[in-house]
Amino acid sequence: MYGLQAIAVHNGWAMALAGALIVFSGLVILSFAISQLHKALNIFEKKHVDVGQEPKISDVEPPEDKPWISLPKQFPTDIKEVARLYKPLVEEIGETFYLSQLYEMSKKNNFPHPHITLTAFRESNILISDGDGVFSWNPPTENDDNENVEG
Amino acid sequence: MDLLFQFLSNTGYYLADYRNVIMIAVGSLFLYLGSAKSYEPLLLIPIGFGILVGNVPFFKGFGLGIYESNSVLHYLYFGVVTGLYPSIVFLGLGAMTDFSSLLARPVLMLLGAAAQMGIFFTLLGALALGFLPKEAGSIAIIGGADGPTSIFLTAKLAPHLIGPIAIAAYSYMALIPVIQPPIMRLLTSRKERLIRMPELREVSKKERVIFPAVGVLLCCFLAPASIPLLGTFFFGNFLKECGVAERLAQTARTAIIDTATIFLGLTVGASTQGDVFLTGKSVLIFFLGAVAFSIATASGVIFAKIMNLFLKEKINPLLGAAGVSAVPGSAREVHLVGQSEDPENYLLMHAMACNSSGVIGSAICAGILWSFLVGL
Repeated sequence: MYGLQAIAVHNGWAMALAGALIVFSGLVILSFAISQLHKALNIFEKKHVDVGQEPKISDVEPPEDKPWISLPKQFPTDIKEVARLYKPLVEEIGETFYLSQLYEMSKKNNFPHPHITLTAFRESNILISDGDGVFSWNPPTENDDNENVEG
Repeated sequence: MDLLFQFLSNTGYYLADYRNVIMIAVGSLFLYLGSAKSYEPLLLIPIGFGILVGNVPFFKGFGLGIYESNSVLHYLYFGVVTGLYPSIVFLGLGAMTDFSSLLARPVLMLLGAAAQMGIFFTLLGALALGFLPKEAGSIAIIGGADGPTSIFLTAKLAPHLIGPIAIAAYSYMALIPVIQPPIMRLLTSRKERLIRMPELREVSKKERVIFPAVGVLLCCFLAPASIPLLGTFFFGNFLKECGVAERLAQTARTAIIDTATIFLGLTVGASTQGDVFLTGKSVLIFFLGAVAFSIATASGVIFAKIMNLFLKEKINPLLGAAGVSAVPGSAREVHLVGQSEDPENYLLMHAMACNSSGVIGSAICAGILWSFLVGL
């Protein structure tokens, strides 16, 4: 059996329609759930903030909108080189800072793709989380490439 | 002299027929594309070599071939026909996948759903061409552009088609740079291709840890038949994100997935013995696979354009093409097509969001088709 008749006999139209609807509704529900996830987490975390234990955040105001760092024309790809370019920004903010502060400053100074860079810093442990959204700077050393795993 | 003649009559040179020669040529082509052209080498090299191994002619009854019980290849093939290897591959994929971009822009998940329409259109096409419902479902899943998912569903519904369907699925995944860009360009204007996507927000670790647990519950409650794929996929992702089981995550995304991929590729390749593989059905499957993959790409792009009618902040419709689950090939292709118009346009992270939702979507589709068709 071939053609539209075969589709109808094997219940093809219903399977295709129901299948498409199920996969769509499943991903719509999942999409909605994860879109609310960070909001739910924010509400939950606000309830648990102990004001007396807030970490000390530098009160240094980031410099005004004008960029003050001159970037090389060819932005480096090596994470250590990029970290060296970010160092003046970190020195301006202080020892501990919110990620958003560093993000804003890098944007003001026209650093390309700050979000991706900050994610890479976190994965390379150049940005260390001190908890509650506060981070500190752990500059890479020349020996980082030569570290051996022990034990 | 008789002994020598008997030996010669049992050699592959004597037993070979034209079908073995054709398949050996196909296997050699896969090896060439994988090793010399670097087209999906991790897939094409094991499959290509498997095709060579599977098409060495042999004397039936010695327990040598993949379809003969007690042969070594037959035991290795067990992981394919039971759906074991795809499930293990999904564990490794989960341990590799970073859902940050998807969590930052959940609306892109809809493109992963839209690209699955290729599966359902192909289901209708395969039925219309005379395939039985279980065969049609197995062929349709090629539209998900996910090799392990295709093999998994085919193993459950139409095990006799594993060879052609797996080869078709992996071939089209390797041919993404050839198939997808013309469709993307055909369906979008230059102005649309130039649309830049905003920087993604920072995603907290808590979100990344909670997501696999929420994902597995929501998806598997909806389509329980997708548990073998999505269960391991989200488990692998949880290992990666929880931060305290890095050793397990590392093993899952390296040694475990590599081992499964080697045996999966080799045995799927070896299952393409000329006399079993070279049939009219295989040709039709390849044709339908191309249709499925093209419709999937087009559905994603068209759906992105439809979304733009309602969204204030427009999305680049090229991203729709990454809704198929060929990770990361289709995301890379979207990025390259975007950059060919505007070298400063970085679509990769957004495309990865669509890509990872495509993996989830195609696994759900496999579960849906399995539950629809298993009783027929």
